[in-house]
Amino acid sequence: MQNYFKKISDLLFNALESSEILILNFDAEETDFVRYNKSKIRQAGRVHQVSLDINLIKKGKTLRSSLRLSTEYKKDKTLLVRTLFFLRREVNELPKDPYLIYEKNINSSNLIDDQGLNAQDMSSRILDISSSHDMVGILSSGKIVKGFANSLGQFNWHESDSFNFDWSLYDDNGKAVKQNYADRKWNQDTFTRLYAESAQQLSVISNDEQKVEPGSYRVYLSPSALNEIIDMMSWGGFSYKANKIGSSPLHLMAKGDREFDKSVSFSEDLSNGISPKFHSDGFIKPNNTELITEGKYQKSLISPRSALEYSVKHNAAEDYESPVSIKLETGKINSKKILETLGTGIYLNNLWYLNFSDRNNARVTGLTRFGCFYVKDGELIGPINTMRFDETMYNIFGTKLAGLTNEQQLLMDTSTYEQRSVHSSTIPGAVVEDFRLTL
Amino acid sequence: MKEDFVNIVRPLLPNVDYCSIRFVSRYSNIINATRSVVEPVSICEDEGIMVTVFNDGGFGYGATSNTTKSGIKAAIDFALSWSGYSKNKLTYYPDLSKIKTQNGSFFTKENEQWSKVSMKDKADFLLEVNRALKSKPSISNWGAGIRHNTIETQFIDTIDSNIRQKLSYILPQMIVSAEYKKEIQTRTYGGHAHARQAGYDFIDTIAMHDKALELSEDVVELSRAKNCENNITDIIIAPDQMILQIHESIGHPLELDRILGDERNYAGSSFVNQEMFGRYKYGSDCLNVTFDPSVSSELASCNYDDDGTEAKREYLIKDGILLRPIGGLFSSQRAEMDYVACSRACNWNRPPIDRMGNINLEPGKSSLNEMVSSISEGIYVETNNSWSIDDKRNKFQFGCEKGTMIKDGKFTNIVKNVNYRGITEKFWNNLINVGDKSTYEILGTSNCGKGEPNQTIFVGHATPACHFKEIDVFGGI
Repeated sequence: MQNYFKKISDLLFNALESSEILILNFDAEETDFVRYNKSKIRQAGRVHQVSLDINLIKKGKTLRSSLRLSTEYKKDKTLLVRTLFFLRREVNELPKDPYLIYEKNINSSNLIDDQGLNAQDMSSRILDISSSHDMVGILSSGKIVKGFANSLGQFNWHESDSFNFDWSLYDDNGKAVKQNYADRKWNQDTFTRLYAESAQQLSVISNDEQKVEPGSYRVYLSPSALNEIIDMMSWGGFSYKANKIGSSPLHLMAKGDREFDKSVSFSEDLSNGISPKFHSDGFIKPNNTELITEGKYQKSLISPRSALEYSVKHNAAEDYESPVSIKLETGKINSKKILETLGTGIYLNNLWYLNFSDRNNARVTGLTRFGCFYVKDGELIGPINTMRFDETMYNIFGTKLAGLTNEQQLLMDTSTYEQRSVHSSTIPGAVVEDFRLTL
Repeated sequence: MKEDFVNIVRPLLPNVDYCSIRFVSRYSNIINATRSVVEPVSICEDEGIMVTVFNDGGFGYGATSNTTKSGIKAAIDFALSWSGYSKNKLTYYPDLSKIKTQNGSFFTKENEQWSKVSMKDKADFLLEVNRALKSKPSISNWGAGIRHNTIETQFIDTIDSNIRQKLSYILPQMIVSAEYKKEIQTRTYGGHAHARQAGYDFIDTIAMHDKALELSEDVVELSRAKNCENNITDIIIAPDQMILQIHESIGHPLELDRILGDERNYAGSSFVNQEMFGRYKYGSDCLNVTFDPSVSSELASCNYDDDGTEAKREYLIKDGILLRPIGGLFSSQRAEMDYVACSRACNWNRPPIDRMGNINLEPGKSSLNEMVSSISEGIYVETNNSWSIDDKRNKFQFGCEKGTMIKDGKFTNIVKNVNYRGITEKFWNNLINVGDKSTYEILGTSNCGKGEPNQTIFVGHATPACHFKEIDVFGGI
């Protein structure tokens, strides 16, 4: 695949005129998807997809085209040459782009991690272990490739095999627990342990439902539940541009008017290597960008385009300026004694379908979903009815935060819209007082 | 593609119980001008195929962007491999004798083709709209854009079906924000819901420039408006909010694959069960909802779904009674229920699943004036900006960009940060008046997410304004 990308890159670069710069972004995926319902296969198949984004820059103007490729040179050559001619003709029609920017220094890199995954073998193990349960979920397994090249001579490559099995176990009353196993190489012992944990939780969720009424409760938000709130925060909260135009839920914090608790520190941390470090215009992203430090808004993610628009220095964020690998620092609550620490309250393993109820004030709403329990005197009593919450981020991470746990969890994004995601987050759990349930 | 493609592919069809090949070619072009600067224009050309094999108790698919003969052969091999592996491991194996041979086509009516208007003219037009949006000093953010998509599908199978459909749609968008005392309010052009199957001529019909001026006036007033007060009150919901209400609390809960449990790990299930069809009182007597692929220019109008089933208009809810789920031919067999042609895939690289097509709320008899006049105290809400609902599609909460208070049968002041919440099963029974054709709009959404692997698809919703009683309305902080 890498040689093919180099070959078509050469084809296009050799066809350029002297006044032209070309930037190429290559995406490929070879994925087996197995979808399960009731511990049987619902749909299974293989998807092979390759695409190339071509960005032609000429005399201060730019025009982009994204193409699907066959990876058969004769067919693709015709398409690529036609597209280059089209871009060359049409780019002249457009006005100059005042925020045009691309990396002019050469920073090449190459990462290949080939594990040789076998999805049918994994699927057999999944079907074997789940046969006595009502399991529903998805296995995604295979290769993800990201490549970059420009006509100035930079070349970057990030190719890795990985899998992500995301599943739920249901009881006869429709109550469910959720679990996930994602890695680069399948480890049967790890999978057996994780599956056993979800089966163990299922036995508790089958206890009598504890009916919760609207009101304020002391809650434990698991890393997964807290991550849902952080996802909402990332809808502009860390974007420089969104803070400038006011669509950021944290714009008051960025202006210095609001703060989180001192125990809260967020960063964009790419050191786990899950996301490529090269930007789509060739810039190399820093390993770590401090976003919120000890409760104070520190820095936004700034794309090169925003940097030009607002005359500031960028930190190689993509145009969407939201984290791809966010990390929340740990706190002091012992993760292994979380029930004891919670005492009496609600253990929230999973939140669902969040949105803003007052974006200016960082207020979000959403619902409880998988594995949410009522806890009394440090003991899990039983599952709760589905409840809606409505709470501000300033309360959750500020005045109502009792503390963060001393262990984090690496959460791999399960999203497969258009292509498999390479985003992740590293998050501890949190205990929050007076968490508001409204319906 | 076209006949050449069919002639190349047909001899490759394997000797199995049933096999279909779906070729999809997509083109999209997005032009945006934000804060009076034309953003980098994006053009996307995408093509690929999906091979689906049912054989000897197994099912598998193979999808590839390699549409050469060797690529298609490889995709067939993957589909055969997965169908062999999944033999006797499937949730359900359909009765293949129920699949009918189909031959036909569908093409969006385009009076003026997208390509006939130059990129420069489109960019200049959007800059002009930007100037109208930035017509007040307190406007802090503004932008306008047009997205054009064409999706061409060719479907053939081992029982001699041959279907060709080409859908083109246009999505015009505008956004404008105003700041007042560090608080920002935003108005959009219908929450980005004014999408239609149409040619570029659609842009001429919607007067974007005039709408831009209206939105700009609106948002400045809104930024200085009072917060919506908490109240249990009457509410009239405008079409550009009604579509979300229909989408989330009628469309999704009636999807048969959710009822059958396929979506329980992701998009969720439903409070609706199979026993409720034919008897359950979903809403008041004035609630009539159709699956209607025949409405001219609506987003999901077509003649066939992506499994090759012929599409027809059907009532889902009539006079408030739940009649039929949104389930395609295969799901309907699993459930032993009626079907609609709703088995849809977002692209060649995802398998078809049960999806909304055009889900429409049929108009009633009241004008907007008549509905407002009947209210002593209430609120008129417009344009969705927030949506949230539980995994069984029961407890919902929606936010709207703008509210206009109603007092003694007349509109009074506007309010900001309007939210309302409720429970689906009660909400639709509180529907007391349905607007007539004068309040009716054909709208849609281009980004309905569902499925594992995930899929985003466009769906249509046409609806009048509707009047509900006893709704829990509240505002911001």
